[in-house]
Amino acid sequence: MAVFEAIATTYLESTQASVTFSSIPQTYEHLQLRISARGNITGSAGHPMYMRINGDTGSNYSNHTMQTYGGSSLNADPYVNFAYVYQAGRVVMPNSNAGFYAATIIDILDYRNTNKNTTMTGFTESLSASEYLSFYSVLWNDTAAVTSILLYPPSNDFVADTTMTLYGLNSAN
Amino acid sequence: MAAAFTVIDHTELSGSATTWTKSSIPSSYDHLYLEFSARSDRGSSSRDEMTVRLNGDTGSNYSVTQMFAVSAGSIGSQRQSTTAIEKIYLPASSSTADTFGAGTLWIPNYANTANFKQVLIQAACEGATNTNYEWGLAVCAGLWTSTAAVNQITLGILTGTNFVQYSTFTLYGVTA
Repeated sequence: MAVFEAIATTYLESTQASVTFSSIPQTYEHLQLRISARGNITGSAGHPMYMRINGDTGSNYSNHTMQTYGGSSLNADPYVNFAYVYQAGRVVMPNSNAGFYAATIIDILDYRNTNKNTTMTGFTESLSASEYLSFYSVLWNDTAAVTSILLYPPSNDFVADTTMTLYGLNSAN
Repeated sequence: MAAAFTVIDHTELSGSATTWTKSSIPSSYDHLYLEFSARSDRGSSSRDEMTVRLNGDTGSNYSVTQMFAVSAGSIGSQRQSTTAIEKIYLPASSSTADTFGAGTLWIPNYANTANFKQVLIQAACEGATNTNYEWGLAVCAGLWTSTAAVNQITLGILTGTNFVQYSTFTLYGVTA
């Protein structure tokens, strides 16, 4: 048994509105998502990527971000009690250069510990026409074990060659 | 093929504790990586800081450079010399119930005896709040000005007294 294991990978061969990791094994300590994503919202160079956990559509998600735009503007934002995670990552859009995909790494701590809400940290970026880099955190205000994760752009689709891999980190060798 | 990650220790606190310490860390790995999900018992506050000390050194041999956000609209940065690596934000007693801070520490080349030790840290004090200073994000570069190999890590609380029950700490050895 490896300590760091790939649970599932989704590679899009065509456009798709969302990606769901379901039936997540309840055997790891922590999870990590690594994502390379591009969407097709016209007129935009980049958008946040949304997330829901366990199909929860209630206003149970909070999210804090700090970011730089274009290497000059620095700011921070809270997104509190949303019905989805506002920024679970970033998605490059068509006004960005062709071939650019946004890179995101999300660490999900103690995802199956029912004594605590689920919290995450993440790094994401979308480069090219709209340069953006952000460190952020996520709260799902629910102590249930995480069994599924839904990721989706604000509208339209992820495009082909978007890839997402979910890893599990064990706490024993 | 050798495993890249090996679990050195995993602890989930069964009750409150002033510190988490891992001693006798083997020198056989290349790097150390730690994931924590922790909360402070600091009273009448939504936020506290976690501290990192190496090899039990309580001297003024640490510094930390931090990029942080604790309020809407702005990002700050600072550097200070201290008796521990600080500025690692955690939720405290007034934060959203059952919510623990999430973060990671990366200590590259921890067993090297030629160079000072650096600690790269990501930390978040999450909570269902948009009130300034009740939440916090931090990316920190810690420095321990010692060439000794790291054989002990101690995590503590800056202002409060204890980590609360269910705080977890997972230390990995990473092989290059």
